[in-house]
Amino acid sequence: MSPGDRFMPREKGAAPLDVVIAVMAFLAVLALGASLVAERTAVGWRAGLAGKLTVQILPPAQGAVNEGLQRETDAALDVLRATEGIAHAEPLSEEEKLKLVQPWLGQGNLVADLPLPQLIDAEITPGADLDLAQLAQRLKQAAPDSVLDDHSHWIARLRELARSVLWTAYGVLLLIAVATAAAVSFATRAGLRAHHEMVALLHQMGAHSGFIARAFEWHYFRSALLAAAVGAGLALIMFLAAGGLQFAGVEAVPFLPPLALKPAELPWLLAVPAAIGVIALVTARLSVLAVLRTIY
Amino acid sequence: MVRFENVGMRYSAGPEVLRDVTFELVSGSFTFLTGLSGAGKTTLLKLIDIAEPPSRGLITLFGCELATAKRTIFPALRRRIGVVFQDFHLLDHLSAFDNVALPLRIAGRREGEYSHDVEELLTWVGLGDRMTAKPPTLSGGEQQRVAIARAVVARPDLLIADEPTGSVDSEIGARLIRLFAELNRLGTTVLIATHDRTLVERTRACEMRLVDGRLVELRAARP
Repeated sequence: MSPGDRFMPREKGAAPLDVVIAVMAFLAVLALGASLVAERTAVGWRAGLAGKLTVQILPPAQGAVNEGLQRETDAALDVLRATEGIAHAEPLSEEEKLKLVQPWLGQGNLVADLPLPQLIDAEITPGADLDLAQLAQRLKQAAPDSVLDDHSHWIARLRELARSVLWTAYGVLLLIAVATAAAVSFATRAGLRAHHEMVALLHQMGAHSGFIARAFEWHYFRSALLAAAVGAGLALIMFLAAGGLQFAGVEAVPFLPPLALKPAELPWLLAVPAAIGVIALVTARLSVLAVLRTIY
Repeated sequence: MVRFENVGMRYSAGPEVLRDVTFELVSGSFTFLTGLSGAGKTTLLKLIDIAEPPSRGLITLFGCELATAKRTIFPALRRRIGVVFQDFHLLDHLSAFDNVALPLRIAGRREGEYSHDVEELLTWVGLGDRMTAKPPTLSGGEQQRVAIARAVVARPDLLIADEPTGSVDSEIGARLIRLFAELNRLGTTVLIATHDRTLVERTRACEMRLVDGRLVELRAARP
């Protein structure tokens, strides 16, 4: 049993401060969770594109379009499948191509009338040292209307985007952490002002500074930890609900990755209430010691 | 035990509350500090309890000169002093038992070691059935007895009390003085500030009288 268990009163009027701490913990957990999702999504995007090639065969400007497309597609496939380092090469089906343009052009007859380019997905064997420039040249010779895309441009752009998203998330997290620390510190100091007489009495009775500080710090540690756990718990419920939506196949916000967290990421969120508890503990200790320094 | 040499005290830029006070309390003595309200009794007790530094003069406590001593030893010196404050200074959220046990907890003793002593003492001061009561539910006299029990529970080397019988009837007052006398017999030096002349005359203790901050009379213990 800590000294605070017996010395500190059950505080009345502390509820608003507990609410502030709970709200700050809620926001901090949201920011931390969002940064974890952003990081994981960025890695996923990069991994999804890395190691893949796309060969685009444009419809020939002259002659029979479909026959020309098919001929060049077969030629490009032959080149790809004969290339060492290409694990797999497969043309996209008509349905897959239509699905790709559907968000922009819809499902009407317009699409049916448009000559769509043929796309070939190819996977590079992991660790293979592929000369992309030479491959592009060989593809051009076999299929003059082919364009090789190794996604390096997109990967670079995604890397930039992911970096921006991550730093933004870290910035928000830092701001919330600073605001949380300030709120917890303020709440703790406000509570201590109400107990100034008790600090003075214990001091007058010969209690060491460390003894008095311990009585307060554990009290505020537990109060802040409890309030922060409530806030973090609510945020956690939100993440679990988002996970449930993802599992049910519901896209909460179009184009954005779902806010669901992986089980391995959840322990990170527990660090938020613990950190808030420690902030309260340290603030209480420093505040009590500062008060004691002013007493003879 | 306690020695004052030309001690003067003023709060901020106010007038001197104590002037050129010189005296010595020998170990094992029982002394009354008398004087009218405002004579400086409470201030003198505060100086002994190391609650305030004097404006001038030297104070020696338990052989330690306070002006030159390191502040880190003050807590240990304070723990050797039991104090009955005029306005009790009880912690309202603690029970009578926990208030009395406070000095023992500060001294690092565990509840299992002191609970019997605390209960016995509370019973002795007539609060055996009020141990779990919180100070706001106690009468003024009961609060004063809790404050006295808290001051004596750790068997201090020095007991100082500011008007300790001010809120109790004469029977309880006499009982409390007997408690102080018993402590004194066991070796505790006792200094009681009071303006109750009857109390002083009834005992044969030493008396120091303050008038306008000056120590005007020192009376030795009567045989």
